[in-house]
Amino acid sequence: MDLRFALEVAVSALMIAGGIFAVIGAMGMVRFRDFYMRLHGPTKSTTLGVGCVLLASMSFFWLKNGHPSLQDMLITLFLFITTPVSAHLLTMSGLHHKLPSAPETKGQPYELDDEDDIARN
Amino acid sequence: MTLLLIVLLPLVGSLVPIASARSGRTTCAWLTAILPAIALGIAAWYTPAVFGGQLPQVSLDWVPALGLDIAFRLDGLSLLFVYLVLGIGLLIILYARYYLSEKDSMSRFYAYLMLFMTAMLGIVTADNLLLMWFFWELTSLSSFLLIGYWSHLSEARKGARMALTVTGAGGLCLLAGILLMGHVVGSYSLTTVLEHRELIQQSSLYQPILLLFLLGAFTKSAQFPFQFWLPHAMAAPTPVSAYLHSATMVKAGVFLLARMYPVLSGTDEWFYIVTLTGLATLLYGAFFALIKQDLKGVLAFSTISHLGLITLLFGFNSKLAAVAGVFHIINHATFKASLFMAAGIVDHECGTRDIRKLNGLWRYMPYTTVLAAVASASMAGVPLLNGFLSKEMFLAQSLEAQMLGGLSWMIPALATLGSVLSVAYSLRFIHDVFFNGEPRDLPKTPHEPPRYMRLPIEILILLCIMVGILPGIMVEPILRAATAAVVPGQAPEIHLALWHGFNLPLMMSAIALSAGVLVYLLRNHIYRFHRQFRAVNARQSFEFSVQRVVRSAQWGLDRFENGSLQRYMFLLLLSAVIVAAFGLMDVPSMAGLKSLQPLDPVVVTGAGILCLAGLGTVMLHRRRLLSLLFLSVVGMFVSLTFARFSAPDLALTQLAVEVVTIILLMLALFFLPQKTPKESSGRRVSRDILLSMIFGGVIASLNYAVLTRPLQSISTYFIENSVPGGGGHNIVNVILVDFRGFDTLGEITVLGIAGIAIYKLLNRLRLFMPSSDMEGRPWSPDRYPVILSSVSQTLLPLALLVSVFIFLRGHNLPGGGFIAGLVAAVVIILVYMSRGVEWTQRRMSFNYQPIAVTGVAIAALTGLGSWVFNKPFLTSSFGHFDIPLIGDIELATAMMFDLGVYLTVVGSTLMILANLGKVTTPHRPSKEKQ
Repeated sequence: MDLRFALEVAVSALMIAGGIFAVIGAMGMVRFRDFYMRLHGPTKSTTLGVGCVLLASMSFFWLKNGHPSLQDMLITLFLFITTPVSAHLLTMSGLHHKLPSAPETKGQPYELDDEDDIARN
Repeated sequence: MTLLLIVLLPLVGSLVPIASARSGRTTCAWLTAILPAIALGIAAWYTPAVFGGQLPQVSLDWVPALGLDIAFRLDGLSLLFVYLVLGIGLLIILYARYYLSEKDSMSRFYAYLMLFMTAMLGIVTADNLLLMWFFWELTSLSSFLLIGYWSHLSEARKGARMALTVTGAGGLCLLAGILLMGHVVGSYSLTTVLEHRELIQQSSLYQPILLLFLLGAFTKSAQFPFQFWLPHAMAAPTPVSAYLHSATMVKAGVFLLARMYPVLSGTDEWFYIVTLTGLATLLYGAFFALIKQDLKGVLAFSTISHLGLITLLFGFNSKLAAVAGVFHIINHATFKASLFMAAGIVDHECGTRDIRKLNGLWRYMPYTTVLAAVASASMAGVPLLNGFLSKEMFLAQSLEAQMLGGLSWMIPALATLGSVLSVAYSLRFIHDVFFNGEPRDLPKTPHEPPRYMRLPIEILILLCIMVGILPGIMVEPILRAATAAVVPGQAPEIHLALWHGFNLPLMMSAIALSAGVLVYLLRNHIYRFHRQFRAVNARQSFEFSVQRVVRSAQWGLDRFENGSLQRYMFLLLLSAVIVAAFGLMDVPSMAGLKSLQPLDPVVVTGAGILCLAGLGTVMLHRRRLLSLLFLSVVGMFVSLTFARFSAPDLALTQLAVEVVTIILLMLALFFLPQKTPKESSGRRVSRDILLSMIFGGVIASLNYAVLTRPLQSISTYFIENSVPGGGGHNIVNVILVDFRGFDTLGEITVLGIAGIAIYKLLNRLRLFMPSSDMEGRPWSPDRYPVILSSVSQTLLPLALLVSVFIFLRGHNLPGGGFIAGLVAAVVIILVYMSRGVEWTQRRMSFNYQPIAVTGVAIAALTGLGSWVFNKPFLTSSFGHFDIPLIGDIELATAMMFDLGVYLTVVGSTLMILANLGKVTTPHRPSKEKQ
């Protein structure tokens, strides 16, 4: 009974944490100033949020059905594979298109420097 | 059943020359002759029975629902024609062996000839009108091949086309007549039809039937005014002319007259149409035979004239005249075939057929001269030859015709005139060619032909003489048997004898002979008279009218099909709106009896997004990439809708299809301008908006009306039968591969064809590739992002495994060949995109076309497999199997079919993608360039 209660608390905590992460990610999309900063929201925070929810769902159904469910595991796996790829591609095209960056954005990749710099590479 | 062999043997025989093409010309000819000779033997074996009044018949079902049976009969008339077709056919095979030059493909010629022979035999022995028509059209087609045999000559091609058009159109008339007759009688069986003379003649459809049958017969037999195709068919090799225009093709028309004589003849309509057509053709042909300067042209027009004579005889409505008609069919076949062959020898040995150049050939080829002279004399109707006998009967019968009332004397007078002209052109054929001075600038020095080239003519001439002298022994039995088929009931008294005593017909014959000589002597006056007329080239006017028809058809087509997709879409939507709107207006109210479901906020949100995305797609259609993104949102929400309403198969399929479509569209967009210029005028845009609003409104109301009504759908049947009938728990998949397997087969075939078509379109296409995008920005140097490519490579085996998993479980759980195929395609596309076409094709070096084709083949073969077990096409079977290590598993043949679907989907999709990719690859700027 105690163990079950403890697990239920863990599932609930994961759910809440997932929700908070997702909201923070969404807020980031709205609040951040430029493309490069905005990218952090959906890639990091939201992925974490979805991951938490998936973990919660996995544990819940494990608890309920008595055996672990593989599908959720697979979803998590695919999520963790696809997110970096799409983030990487988005950044690459953002840099290629030389999207303007806000002054607060730290670090200036060489792509955003001068035309001549590209020629050097 | 032996009867069937008469038609089947020559059909099989058409393959013999092709198979024996390498074994030398003489061997090829001999081998080809074997099967028709056997068929002739079979016919001979049946002869005593037929003469004894029996009627051998055979009947097999072909398409019973249409009344079409493989039914053959061998009555006297059929037997006579079988003898003509096979006998003269064999002689032609021998003759053609020597006639064709080394350059001509002998096997092709013989194959066409045998095909034609089969068709002719089919016409004359068919016991089912539809089957007869089938063979009738087959003669048109095979004669097209024969006439156009020298396909490098424009003349031959045009002549063949003309013959095909005229006889083919006549064949369609005949079909219409046959259908009407079948409607009246209630059966297409010839035996039944022949018993219903009164029924047909009293039917209100008699006149259309008669007219249509006569159109068929007259076009085939080159009767006036359809005679124009025959002279142009002379572009064929002479053996073809000798065969087609003596014993077979053109005789099919008069055969039809004889065949239908028992049911159609005896009325005034028959008399007037057939007699007048025959008379006109007789005189027209005879006159032009006298004028023509081409040796074969003379024979062509004389053939027209003699066919007119036979038609005239059938028109007389007298039994004896019909007998004379049949008799003349035999005689004309023998002497005309030998004359054509003689003309062929002259052409072959002299290199020209121009009568003005050919003179005095008797010095060079005395033997051929004699043969040709005897045949000509028979054609002219000189006593002691067979032509004389039938001409006597013809003249005697013309005296009997009384239907023109006070003008009836004109028929014998005009018949005599025809005979006069016939004597004149026969005389001209012999005198101008073989005598009359010396030849003038011949391309070759003439000499006698090879021994065996003359043999067929000798045999035919011998027959001419024997029949002419001893008609009672030679032809009376077969003529009697044939007559019994043409004139049923009381058989007319046939007296075939050389000497009937001094009577009017004999006098008319004498007049014809002497006047014919006179006309020949005065021929220069006729030529001078004829020269006043402008020459009309039938071929040119025919081509002209054909082209006019084509042009007007094109004009009509252009009104509808102008290549504008917008217009097609407009017309399509408009007609859909009209149809649906009329249907809806009949319904009393839009809302039905069923109560509405409660609104679900998730569904409402989804529907809202769907609507907005759809609107966005349209509004932004000029910014193509953005529009495409909105389109993908639409697709995404459609698949979510499927998932929401418990259709996981559809959702999965939609999702995969959406991915593939968007990627392919993006690839295609790459070659198009990024922005569409503004093309539509305001009026047009408002028209389109109006139409789409009405369309949306109508379709929405339609949906609402349907969904609010209780519906008895067929889905209960599928739910109940999916496991017992198809062996699968996934009803969608069972429907796809089992219940509606035939639909699926059609669909994957279309998919395969579409893939191959796109491949064909893109195969040689090389597009210029700009080195930068619209804003002048060069393409990114990092063409294959490293993370993407390594991930996709890792993903490939995983996703392929998933696709196999989805495929295998498809029969019982959501999945199936289609989805699995799409999943596999998507992941391979991903590899293509991340590593480029070159890299991928180096590692997957196979073509996708064979995969798609194999897929369709597997599916089709699975369907065909059920025939082996005597089940209808695409019957599926399933069972439980205990396989070691895996355990009890349910396997269905439908899985094989699904495998076909899988392969087709993968093959077609990747065929499109890989080729779209290839269009770009060679010109893409690469890192090295910078």
